[in-house]
Amino acid sequence: MTVLWPIAVITFKEGIRNRAIYGISIFALLLLGANLLISSMIMQEVGKVAVDMALSTISFTGLLLVLFVGINLMAKDLDKKTIYMVLSRPISRPQYIIGKFLGIVLLILTTISILSIFAVISIFMVKLSYPGYFPRFSWPLILLSISFITISLILLSALTFLFASFSSTSFITLVLTIISYIIGQSIMDVKALVEAPQAAGIKVSPVTVKVVQAAYYVFPNLSIFDIKTQAAHGLPITLSYIFWAVSYGVVYTALAIIVASVIFRRREFP
Amino acid sequence: MIKIEGISKEFKEGIGSKRVMALKDLTLDIHKGEVFGFLGPNGAGKSTAIKILINLISPDAGRASIMGKDVMDKDTRRHVGYLPENPYFYDYLTAEELLWFGGRASGLSNKVIKERTDDLLNKVNLQVARKRQLRTYSKGMVQRAGIALALVHDPDVVILDEPMSGLDPIGRKMVGDIMMELKAQSKTIFFSSHILTDIERFCDRVGIIVSGKLRLVDRLDSLLSGAAALENIFLKEVEKAGGGVEI
Repeated sequence: MTVLWPIAVITFKEGIRNRAIYGISIFALLLLGANLLISSMIMQEVGKVAVDMALSTISFTGLLLVLFVGINLMAKDLDKKTIYMVLSRPISRPQYIIGKFLGIVLLILTTISILSIFAVISIFMVKLSYPGYFPRFSWPLILLSISFITISLILLSALTFLFASFSSTSFITLVLTIISYIIGQSIMDVKALVEAPQAAGIKVSPVTVKVVQAAYYVFPNLSIFDIKTQAAHGLPITLSYIFWAVSYGVVYTALAIIVASVIFRRREFP
Repeated sequence: MIKIEGISKEFKEGIGSKRVMALKDLTLDIHKGEVFGFLGPNGAGKSTAIKILINLISPDAGRASIMGKDVMDKDTRRHVGYLPENPYFYDYLTAEELLWFGGRASGLSNKVIKERTDDLLNKVNLQVARKRQLRTYSKGMVQRAGIALALVHDPDVVILDEPMSGLDPIGRKMVGDIMMELKAQSKTIFFSSHILTDIERFCDRVGIIVSGKLRLVDRLDSLLSGAAALENIFLKEVEKAGGGVEI
């Protein structure tokens, strides 16, 4: 831990002071401000729209943070050789990966916490203006949804580390992360569709079924962390669902970081 | 103190399978308290040898050790200070934070780091700019911050890759003074350069490397005791190796 902490601190500082984070934050605040405006314009299901809009803003902003600040933090180390200042210390490659990852987790937690405060304020203000539209409203569900968004962003960050450990440029890491994100969001629905195609009135070849099933186990199933709809409609989430989702997130993240560390151990920095 | 035994390293050039020999069977022994100058034209393999000592790259053959420990062992670097060629650090950190990182990562307490930071930033004349982010620094200032970072944990072995590059005459004098001070403290210094006057000024021994092969290792005083100047000796070695003269 003694060497992980300094790496995490400098990674966090480098990330939080990055100008990109200001742009992303201003964009998020504008969206949360727009929440008040849009809710007042719709005048139907105002509560659900306000909650969905606030949570989607946090989720989308977090995604931008991982893609443009998180990846850049890792890429700069490799492209501009700032990694020399870390690896010339008594720090092993796995320690570098874990320390750096902790710094990015800290960055995600801080950014999401700040955004959550604004999101809660925006929902609270809409609720105050239109109390009749919030019959099954639940703050714990909103907080749970934000926690799930955070876990999915941490998992996605771990994947960026895995991709960065073997790719030669940050662009490849970015592309692979975006592909994983898209597949991860939809793989559960696609798997359900190809496994029971008759329900949709389509035919699917056995090879496609196998490919989708393989992708289901390789790519992270990010859709399990998406409980925005349940939060917006006030639908209950079971404790076992929470337990399995959190366990899945932790295990997948740990595996990605372990594999990244193993690959990184062999990497050279000429 | 620093032992390099039969190290060879090849790099792949571009997408094709063409391979370039960066180091060929390099063997060197640098003693405690010695200032060793590694002299060679651009692309001779100086930085490759240094990066192997820091374990940034691994050799295809041979082994290297510092203070009796293999360079692959991360704990070796607890006693080693390293300045890379054209150093680049985190843009948004201040010099003070950079040195805090270096100190903490090397196991120093915050109190010791503060003392070392005050002392070193004074020496490299960055005391006024200590709270400024490194992205606002000039190239020379970054180089000086890099030297302070290399020395923050008071290492026994200091490895400097082109320490004078990018420095103005005042900066060069500053770094020269630091090197003399380290020499007086019996620190082992291994530095690469293609600036002959720097080698003549500081070194006890010199190694000339051309095209990845060590051509000559000798004490500076014995080299200069003959009629030839270091420049002529160096040029002769480059010519003998069949390389272009690029100083």
